[in-house]
Amino acid sequence: MPDHDVLVIGAGLAGQRAALAAAEHGVSVGIISKVHPIRSHSNAAQGGINAALAVDDSWESHAFDTIKGSDYLSDQDAVEIMCREAPNELLHLEHIGVTFHRNEKGELGTRAFGGASHARTYYVADITGQAIMHTLYEQLMKYADLIDRYEEWFTTELALDEDGNCVGAVTRNIKDGSMELFRAKAVILASGGNGQIWHPTTNALICTGDGIAMAYRAGAKLMDMEMIQYHPTTLRGKGFLITEGARGEGAHLLNAKGERFMEKYAPNKMELASRDVVSRAEQTEINEGRGFPDGTVALDITVVPRKRIHEALREIVLVGRDFAGVDITREPIHIKPGNHYTMGGIKTDIWGRTDVKGLYAAGEAACVSVHGGNRLGANSLLDTLIFGRRSGEDAAKHAAGRGIDRVSRTVLEQEERRVQAIIGRERSGRRVSEIKAELGETMDSKVAVFRDEEGIQSALDTVRRLKEEADGAWIDDRGTIFNQDVLGALELQNMLQQAEATCMAALERKESRGAQFRTDYPERNDEEWLKHIDVSLNGDGPELSYSPVTITDWQPQERTY
Amino acid sequence: MNFKLRVWRQPSEGNEGGFEAHEVSGVDPEASFLEMLDILNEKIVADGGDPIAYDRDCMEGVCGSCSLLIDGIPHGPRQVTSCQTFMRDFPDGAEISVEPFRNSAFPVIRDLVVDRSPLDRIIEAGGYISVTSGPQPEPNTNPVRPEDQEHAMDAAICIGCGACVAACPNGSAMLFTGAKVAHLNSLPQGDPERFDRAHGMVAQHDEEGFGGCTNFGECQAVCPQEISIKVIGELYHDYRQAMLHRLRARRGAVKPQ
Repeated sequence: MPDHDVLVIGAGLAGQRAALAAAEHGVSVGIISKVHPIRSHSNAAQGGINAALAVDDSWESHAFDTIKGSDYLSDQDAVEIMCREAPNELLHLEHIGVTFHRNEKGELGTRAFGGASHARTYYVADITGQAIMHTLYEQLMKYADLIDRYEEWFTTELALDEDGNCVGAVTRNIKDGSMELFRAKAVILASGGNGQIWHPTTNALICTGDGIAMAYRAGAKLMDMEMIQYHPTTLRGKGFLITEGARGEGAHLLNAKGERFMEKYAPNKMELASRDVVSRAEQTEINEGRGFPDGTVALDITVVPRKRIHEALREIVLVGRDFAGVDITREPIHIKPGNHYTMGGIKTDIWGRTDVKGLYAAGEAACVSVHGGNRLGANSLLDTLIFGRRSGEDAAKHAAGRGIDRVSRTVLEQEERRVQAIIGRERSGRRVSEIKAELGETMDSKVAVFRDEEGIQSALDTVRRLKEEADGAWIDDRGTIFNQDVLGALELQNMLQQAEATCMAALERKESRGAQFRTDYPERNDEEWLKHIDVSLNGDGPELSYSPVTITDWQPQERTY
Repeated sequence: MNFKLRVWRQPSEGNEGGFEAHEVSGVDPEASFLEMLDILNEKIVADGGDPIAYDRDCMEGVCGSCSLLIDGIPHGPRQVTSCQTFMRDFPDGAEISVEPFRNSAFPVIRDLVVDRSPLDRIIEAGGYISVTSGPQPEPNTNPVRPEDQEHAMDAAICIGCGACVAACPNGSAMLFTGAKVAHLNSLPQGDPERFDRAHGMVAQHDEEGFGGCTNFGECQAVCPQEISIKVIGELYHDYRQAMLHRLRARRGAVKPQ
């Protein structure tokens, strides 16, 4: 039974940053990840990280852009913290070896990003996430005395004591199938978003929101679950991402008639309006018959100088070539809005603390809320680092001076039985992969860019039926060593619980704000809906409540770009 | 499209492995190699067998999980990751062999999945910046020449997949080690520890049982991130300097790093 002061679940940017912050405070840390840490999905963050570092920029301007981008649903105290602390975090990254782009004078260079009033996105070509994550991973090695890494361990459930405090977690070692109870004084969930609930998605196969579901089952509230970001530029079919950096470098969006249609929707910011605005514009063009027959519009990167494309967008050149058969330096590439990011998640305060004592959350799994109804590009890396660090610091303080509690092994035995039951299921009923496919297609068609009551209700009905089917679904692999199928079954249960919460919240919010656009309630309604929807688990189903939005200096205004 | 496959099956590290023959038919030319394996797994399971285990995650070539030796070439014929290798890259009816990355330092966990943790231990031996720089100065007090930054990035782009190791006739991990060292040693913040880093990481590389580099160049030919073998030359340069520095330090001529 391994013991740690702080246990971090998830080893992407938020998890690694939290582990490092806790170790800097001198406590022992265990960091668990279902994949090797450098395979985590933070890798895929291409465009960059925002910080008001330039002399003519200010954190207030960054904060305002973020709040306006969120359609005023973000908590402004949290946004202020994130934007104030961004410059120092960026410099810290630079000091530990992240190779941020330097201009010809040797100074840090920036690029423009959507919804921002200043070019404040710092970047490493279009591999910013990968560059930061590998560098943080190196830093974990620096603290090898304090940080134990558990790579390829899948956490199935949190362990609570009799008073409902979080005191550890149950985890399955993927390599040999053994189950282990980890004890800890504080647990930080940094296990990422849940894009795999939708199909297609830009998210990797591991993004199943396991931490969100575990926190929910442990009694923590989820918040803003209806807010799901559709990224404006993804490839049809498989959902590969074309970075917003492409539009930041000047690329145009064109409909099938060759019109630069953003003129109609966002005459000032054009292609660099907020993501929800651009995605809706594209979907409107497609729905009204001005798209291409394959249900797409075009992204024209050829207007960006070739040399600059090869310097700043090199990964995208490869994605275009390999996955769409298009040389993006010579011809436009067909794109459409696609599932990308979970704005909502586990409700936390500004130190990452959840409603469950001893349990923290950070990164995409958490909802602080700095993104509200819509996240700005290049704010997600920032969110993971700032609130990863803060939750690591606070968890270390919480752990200091406490003893390790006795933890009952009941939860371990219960989880062992649950896993065994999945492996032993009869080959009847539906397969896990079929249910997952139906879930993805349902959510992508009904809980996406445009929504209405009828569609969301029918998605909810489907999700509830799939929940029942999933309880008896069988898996292909019955072995113990590296059995990925059994993880798939556990992930499916996690995803269905979250999908139910998302549908309920989307039904409840009878207005249009940020990523939630209800065609039956097309206006934003501050009087009734300037509040968060919280979801908690009551018995087997979700229960909704409300919490206020924290407003400091920025009163809601009409939102135009 | 139809293919004849010879797939390496091995139930666990301790057990003997061997090739298993399979056929797949009706494969979409646009399917990736991993999607083709999924189709094969469906068939194996329908016939009552155990599916083939293999590593995968992002499916877009950035995470470095996938690690297939396809017809003896790490990741296959096109110098991209296994997930970016497509069935259209092979002639219809082709016979294809699929194995895990081969190296005695990479034990097979199951079927096509290997343990690549020796690479982590090389990083642990010095592949990080250990100074804590304290209060942050203004960012542009110490400019970094863009060519140095580009150079560091060309090395930092390594995704740690281990294809270089699997390609090397000597089983050397020098391209990986060189990339890690070149990334940090090209930057001003990595400079103060450059000798210790080069020395420690090469020592650990040898300790793990990887072979030495004799300039075959197979590593750069398969690297999906197109990292140049030049990083190994730079690593040797820093390693030699480190040895000299240690000699001089022992005689008291310079301070040890």
